[in-house]
Amino acid sequence: MTGREKTHRIRHHLPMVGWLWLLWILLWGSVGPVVLVGGLLVALAVVGTFSLPPVLPGAVPRPLAIGRLLIALLTDLIGSGTAVAWQVLRYGGKTSAAIVEVPLRVDSDLLITAVAEFTTIAPGTLVVEIDRRRQRLYVHTIPVHDEADIARRREAVQSVERRVARAVGTTRRRTGPPGDDGSGPPGDTGTGPSPDPDRGGSTP
Amino acid sequence: MTAVSDVATAVLLPAGAIFCLLGSVGLLRFPDIGSRLHAAAKAQTLGLLLILSGTAAQTPLRYAPVLLLVILFQLLTAPITSQIVGRTAYRVQALDRRKLFRDELADRLALDGTPVDAQPSSEDADR
Repeated sequence: MTGREKTHRIRHHLPMVGWLWLLWILLWGSVGPVVLVGGLLVALAVVGTFSLPPVLPGAVPRPLAIGRLLIALLTDLIGSGTAVAWQVLRYGGKTSAAIVEVPLRVDSDLLITAVAEFTTIAPGTLVVEIDRRRQRLYVHTIPVHDEADIARRREAVQSVERRVARAVGTTRRRTGPPGDDGSGPPGDTGTGPSPDPDRGGSTP
Repeated sequence: MTAVSDVATAVLLPAGAIFCLLGSVGLLRFPDIGSRLHAAAKAQTLGLLLILSGTAAQTPLRYAPVLLLVILFQLLTAPITSQIVGRTAYRVQALDRRKLFRDELADRLALDGTPVDAQPSSEDADR
C-alpha cells in the first residue's frame, strides 16, 4: 500500500473513528485522560479490524440540508404519533389500508435504507418490502379510502426521498416540478456519475 | 432554570405516557398486523422519545447525552424491526390481504410469476 492510498484510507475512516470516540466518551460520561486516550485507541482498533467498504462514494454532506432533514424527521414523528393515535380513537378496528408501490430515484444501499427508515417514521406509511434491484419500496399505508389517498402517499414518500438525497448531496437540485411522479431518467440521480475530487470515493 | 426544566418534564412525561398508552390501545384495536405495526412503530417511539426527553431535563448534564443516545438508536432500529416484521407477515400471509384497499406488491409478485397465493394456505400462517 502506497503512502497516498494509506492517507486516503485513513481520511475515509475518520468520521467513523470520530463517531465511535464520541460514543465512548458519552457512555463513560467523563473526559479524563484515560477515557480520552482509551476511547481513541478502541475506536481506531474497531475501525481497523472491521473495515467497512465505502457506502456512499462521492457524497458531500450538506449541514443545512441535514438539519432540515432532522427537523422534518421530528415533525414527521410527532405528526405520525398523533395520526396513529387519532386512527386508534376514531376508526379502531375499521381502519382501511393499502400497499403502495413507490419507485425511487436514488440508487445506493445507504440512501435506500435511509429513505425506508424515514418513510417508516413518517405519518401513516410503513415499509414492508424493499426491492433493491428495481429501486422500489412497497409501503403499507393507513388510512386509505380512495385513489387520491394512494397518490398522496406516493408523493409523500418521494418528497422524503428528495430530502434525503439533498442532505448527502449526491443529487443535483431537482429542476422538475415537486409533483414529479418519479418516472424520469434513471441516470438523473444516484451516486454513479458524481466524481468528487475531495474524497475520490470508490476508486480502488 | 429548575422551574423551566420542571415544566418541561411535567409536560413531556404525561404526553409520552399518553402516546405509549394509545400505542398499546392501537395494538389491541387495530384489525391486522400491518396497522398494528403502525401503532408499535410510531406511537410507541414517540412516547418513548418524549419520556426520555422529559427525563433528560431532570438528570445532571453528564447523563443527559446517554438518554439522547437511547433516542437516536431507538429511531434507527424501530423502523428496521417493523419492516422485518411486516415483510415476514406479508410473506407468510399473516397479513390479511382481503382487507387491503389496494395491494400493488401482490400485483408485482404476480407479474414476476411468483404470486403470493402459491404459498401455503393461511391456516398454517396463523399459528
